Amino acid sequence: MLVRDAIIHTRVVRPGMPVRDVFDECGRVHVQSLPFVDMDGRLTGRVTLKNVMKIACLPEHMVHTATLLGSFLSCVNNAQDKIKELLPSPVDAYVRQTHVWIGSAEPAIKALAIMEKNDTSYLFVVDDGEYQGIVTIQGIAAKMSEMYAESLMGQ
Amino acid sequence: MQVDHHAASHLIFGWNPLWVATTLFVVTYLLIISEKINRAIVAGLGAAMMVTLGVLNQQQAVAGIDFNTIGLLTGMMVLVAITRRCGVFQFVAIWAAKKVEAKPWGILLMLAVVTAAFSALLDNVTTVLLVAPITLLITDELKVNPYPYLFTEIFASNIGGTATLIGDPPNIMIGSAVGLTFNDFLLNLGPVSVISLIVTMGIIYFIWGRRLQATDEARERIMQFREREAITDVTLLKQSLTVLALVIVGFAFAHPLGLEPATIAMFGAGVLLLITNIGRDAEEQSEDVHHSFGEVEWVTIFFFVGLFIVVAGIEHAGLLNILANWVTDVTGGDMTYTAMLILWVSAVASAIVDNIPFVATMIPIIESMAPTFGGSENLEPLWWSLALGACLGGNGSLVGASANLIVAAFAERAGHRIAFLRFMALAFPLMLVSIVIASIYVYLRYL
Repeated sequence: MLVRDAIIHTRVVRPGMPVRDVFDECGRVHVQSLPFVDMDGRLTGRVTLKNVMKIACLPEHMVHTATLLGSFLSCVNNAQDKIKELLPSPVDAYVRQTHVWIGSAEPAIKALAIMEKNDTSYLFVVDDGEYQGIVTIQGIAAKMSEMYAESLMGQ
Repeated sequence: MQVDHHAASHLIFGWNPLWVATTLFVVTYLLIISEKINRAIVAGLGAAMMVTLGVLNQQQAVAGIDFNTIGLLTGMMVLVAITRRCGVFQFVAIWAAKKVEAKPWGILLMLAVVTAAFSALLDNVTTVLLVAPITLLITDELKVNPYPYLFTEIFASNIGGTATLIGDPPNIMIGSAVGLTFNDFLLNLGPVSVISLIVTMGIIYFIWGRRLQATDEARERIMQFREREAITDVTLLKQSLTVLALVIVGFAFAHPLGLEPATIAMFGAGVLLLITNIGRDAEEQSEDVHHSFGEVEWVTIFFFVGLFIVVAGIEHAGLLNILANWVTDVTGGDMTYTAMLILWVSAVASAIVDNIPFVATMIPIIESMAPTFGGSENLEPLWWSLALGACLGGNGSLVGASANLIVAAFAERAGHRIAFLRFMALAFPLMLVSIVIASIYVYLRYL
């Protein structure tokens, strides 16, 4: 099984794109991160849902006291209000450095190994400097299950 | 610190060992203070140069390392790293806040007491790392300025840490070098720490406390906290508190048991690691042990190792004898004058620079004064003066203690900047008040 067998095709994030579009795309294809490309289309970074949420509405002290939070707290309600303000704003402030990537012709097992080594659950798929899509642990698992089901039907 | 003064050192190029050692010491110290280079790197290189240039041989260098201090620090760090995972510190902080019905001044007072108590038994940095987030959460809800709370917690952590052998690294170093026990520190420094805390809280009440106000609605939100939810692992809570309690009891009985504090701390750490890993497979155990040891502040440990060797170098070269004689000349060999000088110089120095290198240097200097005062058994007032000055002095500025910087950095990231001069404008005089209290205490009790 190769990476291309489990690839998920996604939109890319461009400068000025509203956060809401990133949320929509991530929700549509069930991924937690999207690649960020510059005006020339070069892959220069990534936008992760975790990072956006953290910067926008999760101050450090709320993270440290996470188990104590409840809807009775104004800080929780304030955080939810901040998300509403966040959605139309440009995503540029939340771009992080580029993530590890893998070629589409590489074995899926290699993708899993790289994910494990880097403590991540996804990799960008890049061929000759061009973004192709994203591969996730969930995607590989789903593809493995599909191939197994096909092999059973073939028997 | 035992250093063989009689073994010959072979200085390269035939340089004067006193000058080489002094130069290395001064450069090391200045680099540590400048914070341009990580202090563990500086201390490590300084130590290596002491040996390479021949001030010490390797045997002398190793002999200069106080492994009791290293072992005690490491053991307690492992214990705290495991214990903090269960959430007990946050539980106590919330419980304390609710006990005073979420009244702003009451919360400030209770968080100060909690911080001081934890700092006395655990390290100051961990204590403030755990209390500061709760503080910001509570002050956020009460809509009160967090500055008075954070300021008070900084003071409480340093005052609390003064009270016990394990509360602050200077105390660990002094206790280890002189053979002072956990009980010695508690009985001698406990009372003055309590008095200092009470007076400090009184002044803080006068400055801020009486003006702190919150609406009933805001207080009601605090009362809705379920502190039980702070506990993330009940089993770990029971295990870690049991072991911690046994370790504290072990410290209290260390002298009759003939055990050093490092042995007790490392034994406790080993026991806690064992019981928290029972039932886990090899891989899980490896991961847990790795994680626990990963939380030890190895930078601090290696800083201590390097520092001990550097100080051993200048001791071997005779610089500390020269300094001790100079102090004796200045004070005329008068115990009262010497104790007060040590107390006040330690306090001011600790407010400005890292107190650990200062204390590491002062210990052999004071030991050298033993003949002047009729034997080492008569140096007690000087040891307590050094401990009080070094620990309480850390309140004098943001750079006076690591815990201060941790709180300031945390507050800044949360959008509540603690400006250096604004802090010092109140902190330095308040620190001096505690040193006045310490001076009176030392004079009345020991002189």
